[in-house]
Amino acid sequence: MKNKKNLIAAIPVVLFLVGWEILARNKVVNQALFPPPTVIAVELADLFFKGLPVQSELLNHVGETLVRVGLSFSLGLLVGMILGVAMGLSRLTYFFFNPLITMLMPIPGIALAPLFIVWFGFGNETIIPLGVLSAFFPVVYTTVAGVRSVDRQLVQAAQIMGASRWKVISSVYLPWAAVYVFNGMKLGLARCWMTVIAVEFIAATNWGLGYLILSSSDNMRADIVYGGIFLLIVIYFVLERGVIHTLENRTIARWGMIHST
Amino acid sequence: MLTKDYSYTIPGVTEHGFKQQLLRAVRFLMPFLIIGGLWEVSARAGWVHSSSLPAPSAILGSFWQLAWVKGVLWKHFISSLYRLVVGYLLATVAGVTVGALLSLRPTFRLLFEPVLSLLVSVPSIAWVPVLLIILGLDSRTVIAAVFLGAFFAITYNTMRGIETVNKNLVNAARLMGVNRVRLFFSVLLPGSLVSLITGLRLGIGYSWRALVGGEMLAAMVKWGLGTMVFQARFWNDVSMMFVGIIIIGLSGYLLDRTFLRWLEVVTVERWGMLATQK
Repeated sequence: MKNKKNLIAAIPVVLFLVGWEILARNKVVNQALFPPPTVIAVELADLFFKGLPVQSELLNHVGETLVRVGLSFSLGLLVGMILGVAMGLSRLTYFFFNPLITMLMPIPGIALAPLFIVWFGFGNETIIPLGVLSAFFPVVYTTVAGVRSVDRQLVQAAQIMGASRWKVISSVYLPWAAVYVFNGMKLGLARCWMTVIAVEFIAATNWGLGYLILSSSDNMRADIVYGGIFLLIVIYFVLERGVIHTLENRTIARWGMIHST
Repeated sequence: MLTKDYSYTIPGVTEHGFKQQLLRAVRFLMPFLIIGGLWEVSARAGWVHSSSLPAPSAILGSFWQLAWVKGVLWKHFISSLYRLVVGYLLATVAGVTVGALLSLRPTFRLLFEPVLSLLVSVPSIAWVPVLLIILGLDSRTVIAAVFLGAFFAITYNTMRGIETVNKNLVNAARLMGVNRVRLFFSVLLPGSLVSLITGLRLGIGYSWRALVGGEMLAAMVKWGLGTMVFQARFWNDVSMMFVGIIIIGLSGYLLDRTFLRWLEVVTVERWGMLATQK
């Protein structure tokens, strides 16, 4: 059933690609703007094999971006969860940080990029802090909501049974808030990925998927631009399905808090 | 007796409400005042470089300069708003139409839903480099990016919304001899509004991001908030950047909280389709 559905879903994609190929090959559309998909694939493969025994140019670009996303996402997650729990437990912390978070969250990461470039310079010094921020906001936001929604009776029950403060936080608050935190993680990963790519457009030096795409765009290399964006979609899909989904199924779905899919 | 009591308590209640609102506003502003104060002091005392972190007073001065003395801020703002409105409105019309078509034909849905859900997750700014090649370095690229940013989210959520409309309502309307157009506007559209508004809200967020990013990357765009922030870097004018960033953040926040929130309040919330959170 699932396979059949996937097969049906592939039909429009295949038709689209074949149609594009035919139109481009017969020069109905400008090949410089819409290079045929086969050319894009060959170009991507070329980039992959470039300097292969030692390294691969394409993998270097992708790897650099993934390292940036991984680093900034984990940092943002850590800080977001710590501050989120603190804000959920202490009213004073909440009243201080909540207005700041509400006002800073809607600022797109790329709008801050020029400022961070002035402060820290080009490259990772700008990309990683912005990545951290973009992951941090959704995580802190949802963690606070989760911690604040904890059933008071559970907390009191744990306290009556003599649980220490840390025990209450780790065994009552965090598992309860897990569903919220996972939502925040999903949003955070999406925003972190988006922000890292976007900031790579303007602040990266030499490496990174965003850098590859924009520098190819400047050089009118449409084939690499399309290829890069294709990779971007595939990698995000794998990250979301592979990492977040597996984690979700192993924890909150097993605990019966959501239905596994 | 009862009426008298009633009329007596009302002023007290409203006064209490006003006081509470005032308290809430003060509490909301407090952290900004504290941080702003510390920032101002450390800038005046020379603990931070005023060229990289100008004092809040300097930023306000820059705002005054840009907004009233030179007046360029409004031109930047209006240019951005214009692109947002054009791109977003086109995306709304196209998205609702395509979403409705997809949901009404099961075959279409089977064919296109997976692709669409994948495209929704593409960061809207990722389209910009392609558009730069296809459409060039001017305003059209930015408008197209705004359009694409909102289009997929609106299409997807319209489709999901119409799918979840109660089938009994649709059948009842059909039995009463309602024609297709009427069915769409009187049953399907209102019935799917909760989901549609979610799409509109997501869409405007994506559009706003795409707009700012697009204005930074499209080199021939001369006016726009993104352009303003980006250009400020070449003059090392950090105060101007701060002004731009604050306006971008505030506008993004207000776009979501004003007219879309209003739309939600006057429709689905009033109809009782949405569990009010407060």
